[in-house]
Amino acid sequence: MSVETRPILRVRDVRKSYGSLPALSGVDFDVQAGEVVGLIGPNGSGKSTLFDCCTGLQRIDSGEVLLNGTDISRWPMHRIVRQGKLVRSFQKTVVLGTQTAEDNLILAGQMNCFPSLLSTFGIGPSAARRMRLLRERANELIEIAGLSRVRHLPAGSLSGGQQKLLQFASMLMPEPQLVLLDEPLAGINPILIEKVIDSIRDANRRLGVTFVVIEHNTDVLMDLSHRVIVLHQGTKLAEDTPAAIVRNSAVVDAYLGG
Amino acid sequence: MAITLDTPQPQGRHLPALRRSGLVLILAALVMAPLYLQNYYLHALIIAMIFLLPAHGLNLILGYTGMLSLAQGAFFGIGAYVAGLLAIHLGSPFWFNIVAAGALTALIALPLGIPALRLRTVSFVMCTLGLVVIAQTVAKNWISLTKGDMGLSGVPRPSFGWGASATHISSIPGYYYLVLAVVIIATLGFVALIKSPAGRCMIAIRDNETLAESFGVPTWRYKLIVFMLSAMFAGMGGALYAQYMTVVSPLMFQMYYSNTILIIVLGGGVGRVSGVLLGSFVFVALSEALRITPELRMIIYGAILLALVFCFPQGLARLVEQGMEKLAAVKGASKEALTHER
Repeated sequence: MSVETRPILRVRDVRKSYGSLPALSGVDFDVQAGEVVGLIGPNGSGKSTLFDCCTGLQRIDSGEVLLNGTDISRWPMHRIVRQGKLVRSFQKTVVLGTQTAEDNLILAGQMNCFPSLLSTFGIGPSAARRMRLLRERANELIEIAGLSRVRHLPAGSLSGGQQKLLQFASMLMPEPQLVLLDEPLAGINPILIEKVIDSIRDANRRLGVTFVVIEHNTDVLMDLSHRVIVLHQGTKLAEDTPAAIVRNSAVVDAYLGG
Repeated sequence: MAITLDTPQPQGRHLPALRRSGLVLILAALVMAPLYLQNYYLHALIIAMIFLLPAHGLNLILGYTGMLSLAQGAFFGIGAYVAGLLAIHLGSPFWFNIVAAGALTALIALPLGIPALRLRTVSFVMCTLGLVVIAQTVAKNWISLTKGDMGLSGVPRPSFGWGASATHISSIPGYYYLVLAVVIIATLGFVALIKSPAGRCMIAIRDNETLAESFGVPTWRYKLIVFMLSAMFAGMGGALYAQYMTVVSPLMFQMYYSNTILIIVLGGGVGRVSGVLLGSFVFVALSEALRITPELRMIIYGAILLALVFCFPQGLARLVEQGMEKLAAVKGASKEALTHER
């Protein structure tokens, strides 16, 4: 997928404090449609807070978050997901533990399939048809994620790596245009890292999904990203191509180290 | 190796059939109960089935959405008052009263739920407890409507037409069949609800609310709808109770009712339809059976509950399920042995 010069996400002077502690003090950047953008920075630099602010989990104190030109900073999370087609993962892998892997995926895509809240109470033929389509799509993604053998098991009983793959697959269920990944590679083995990276690349190139990825595994991230943004103490320290970022002395001092 | 359910295990294959035949047997026994049971036992079954409705409501909000509400007793009482007042003043038919009681209770739950659902965990539980106290105070003091502590007496028996000339159900077997029909419809409705996509959303809220929200589920709206639906189930139960007992008083708001509903759901098996079905029959029957020793009744009841909580924390339904799994395994094994012999 080629990168277009059409900003899908624009973050404008976003500020957010937790009490007297500033987490973001005026962050600005754009994400173009079709890009994979890496977001790095030391712990506590505001990366996850930025994700929270873009997805409605936290209200920003001031500034704007524009998704395709619409300010979504006051939208609740579920609306951003449904109408904005913006989904995210969490730092700690979370799945619906009591539900099967397949049901996790169906639920992840369900709200995209039913036009209104009332229609989800339907049990008629149209609801059944929608559910059938959802199940087919869920099974396709399960196949791609390599989880076919465990699709009928409760997600809570899957291994950490399998849960990670399940989480990634569930984010693709609602056919998103923008995906925010919070440390997708943390705590998984090298083989699985390859698999997750391949899945991100595949979704980006084949389906045109735009990604913003927080990751401490900088080698992999530099290889994956078109562009990298560095946050430091709640402000943007640098924004450039991966090659330029690794040579940037301010970034090396603050985060990458010698 | 992880076990996949694609290839059913020998014992698993017989489980659905066993479950189905068990259900059919119980249903048949219930339908024919008036033929072989005395009125006293029918009375106990009627009470058990009436309590099943608010228990369904509590199971929906606690077992499927993960919020403990003690307000079921309040909504049960409100439903009883609504049905009682309608029957007394309008002489309206039974179906009208039960629908009105369900709808009105759900409507009353709406403004109560909006502030209550903003609270989390313990605060929410306390708030629902407060609703019971408020409901009782209103019932005691709105004397022009509720006749205060005296309560409503002489609530007409259920009828199928308007006015005094309508046919009334006055026999216990007649009322038994009426309640059985309502309970079957309500249970089928409940199953349809939890199997619907909305039911899936509720389970997601129970498992992880933030994750559900990140899947695009408007969690707050669903919680409000669930709160209203659980109140509706309780209100319908209250309507059945009012027209069966023919008396409605502020005693309906005693914690006894909320507790009984809670015991049915927790003891039977929270988050399982079968648990609530089993719980309502076992615990209401137990309470009735223990009337033979009035002094020791509550002590024995409490001891049995304690034993249950310690020995089977997942409820009676899980116990029965384990028994059935064993039975199915034995059946599967004996069938397999037969095929080997051949």
